[in-house]
Amino acid sequence: MKMVLSQRQREELNKAIADYLGSNGYTDALEAFKKEAEMSGEMDRKFGGLLEKKWTSVIRLQKKVMELESKLAEAQKEFIEGAPTRAKRTPAEWIPRPPEKFCLTGHRATITKVIFHPVFSLMVSSSEDATIKVWEFESGEYERTLKGHTDSVQDIAFDQHGKLLVSCSADMSIKLWDFNQTFECVKTMHGHDHNVSSVAFSPSGDIVYSASRDKTIKAWEVATGYCIKTYKGHREWVRMVRVSADGSLLASCSNDQTVRIWNADTNECKMELREHEHVVECVAWAPEAAAAAVNEAAGGDNRRANHVGPFLASGSRDKSVKIWDVSTGQCLATLAGHDNWVRGLAWHPGGRYLLTASDDKTLRVWDVAHTRCLKTLYAHHHFATSLDFHRSLPYVISGSVDQTVKVWECR
Amino acid sequence: MNPCSVPAPQQDSEGDGRWNSIHNRFLSDAKGKDADVIFIGDSILQALEHTEVWNQWFAPLHCLNFSIHKDQTQNVLWRIKNGELDHVDPKVIVVHVGTNNVDYTPEQVCEGILEIITTIREKHPSAYIVLPSLLPRGQHPNALREKNSKINQLLREKVLNMNKVEMVSIDKGFIQTDGTISHHDMHDYLTPTNAACRKAFEPIYDLLQQLLSEGEPEKDLTPSE
Repeated sequence: MKMVLSQRQREELNKAIADYLGSNGYTDALEAFKKEAEMSGEMDRKFGGLLEKKWTSVIRLQKKVMELESKLAEAQKEFIEGAPTRAKRTPAEWIPRPPEKFCLTGHRATITKVIFHPVFSLMVSSSEDATIKVWEFESGEYERTLKGHTDSVQDIAFDQHGKLLVSCSADMSIKLWDFNQTFECVKTMHGHDHNVSSVAFSPSGDIVYSASRDKTIKAWEVATGYCIKTYKGHREWVRMVRVSADGSLLASCSNDQTVRIWNADTNECKMELREHEHVVECVAWAPEAAAAAVNEAAGGDNRRANHVGPFLASGSRDKSVKIWDVSTGQCLATLAGHDNWVRGLAWHPGGRYLLTASDDKTLRVWDVAHTRCLKTLYAHHHFATSLDFHRSLPYVISGSVDQTVKVWECR
Repeated sequence: MNPCSVPAPQQDSEGDGRWNSIHNRFLSDAKGKDADVIFIGDSILQALEHTEVWNQWFAPLHCLNFSIHKDQTQNVLWRIKNGELDHVDPKVIVVHVGTNNVDYTPEQVCEGILEIITTIREKHPSAYIVLPSLLPRGQHPNALREKNSKINQLLREKVLNMNKVEMVSIDKGFIQTDGTISHHDMHDYLTPTNAACRKAFEPIYDLLQQLLSEGEPEKDLTPSE
């Protein structure tokens, strides 16, 4: 594109260039330039640093414009398409919509994880303040605080029926908490040599898996508290571990920029998925209902692919989310749009959507089949670290570095 | 021996051991947080962390701030030699220190800062080092103000040809036409207020954005019609 300057603008530009040359000590060039541009006399002070100022402000303004444009597009879409009313919403299609239903405060530091209880209308949050808090998400009421860890609680998970909660911490321990009656810590397990970053239950509930900055994943027998297996292979900090629905596979991700798939029973590493260009923060196994949407995304124009799965999503500091076919190790789709690290992932129970939480402070709802962002929620004042989708009720929860937990209703 | 470039902990003149507590907290923060940018220095940078500007501009870039009130060059040097930058892999390190070295000559302070740069360079050969200039101080013109500007001048000459070291002037616009500094900019005529941080650290913010996005594909910045 040819830009045309007016006489006056050209004169100003010349003066700004002269100032730039002068203030950076390019005296010969300045003299030559002044002569050629037929400039004379003293420089006006208002041109001091003008060129540098324009140079940087263009970038800043453009960034602002892009931000505003995407917010406007979002608002227009909301206005034109609207959202279904509560009566018309269907469980396969409902997605969280602003504003939040509750903003829960009480933690004294960054929220690291939020999860729903599988049965009761309870949710649980963990924090860098070393505590775990229990909340009622339909009323927004605070229930209780679980204390015992001595450093950041990094991850929490329930067993299938929600009778036990497992937590892990930077204090290098893993704790089991009774959720049946007492809400007390019933077991503490030691064995990792560094910060424990993630925990998960096997579907049967007899085994807890943990991932650590000591580069290993460990399996612990719930009944005895013994470490029964160690999975070695990652070259750096293991960020997260998640168990497949049938319990046969583990997916883990790491600062070494890979995702690994392990045979849970033999501790053999089956596969290494490398395509991310930065630390991989999170992984999430897709529900069976997601197969159709994932195949549509992988197929391209009017054709549906025939991948059998299981499928896994991974989120990374390279700002992207990838969806993998774990049977073949292929990356089927990449979701790009976040402006900063992706930290949390949750599949919609209906399988058509994937939700993400990011350091760009937003939550995003992705239409998997079309690999595009369907909705952006400007959720928090600081990094959004974690989110969860309720299995059967229309609720999503999110946590943030801003120390709040938010409950979002879906329509 | 120049006391400004010999590592030394801050004197615990009040007897509550706070300086050591803060240092230990920084050590544990460094281990867990994977920051892309680390600020290290004195009261000026410490004040920055408690401003809106910090939350709005710097926090989203994944920053950690290892700055302690009243620190002098030898104190920052001691902290670096004792592990604060050992378990991190930042792309940029922002250093501001020297204004509290009130008992020493500009040459000594400048040497102290250069020693800090050398030490950082040994630990992080490929990180950018960004040096915001020392701010003027005192309501009226005084010897320390002149000293700070002398330090800036000396330092600028020394780092001019260093690779990946950038000195940025942040001291513009604080001295008013009558030679005074307003309490709106520096409530105690030393530490910048929120509004002043916005003025002073804007060039730093611009520079950080450019340094952090180096290597990423360039966006088309032509405005759409």
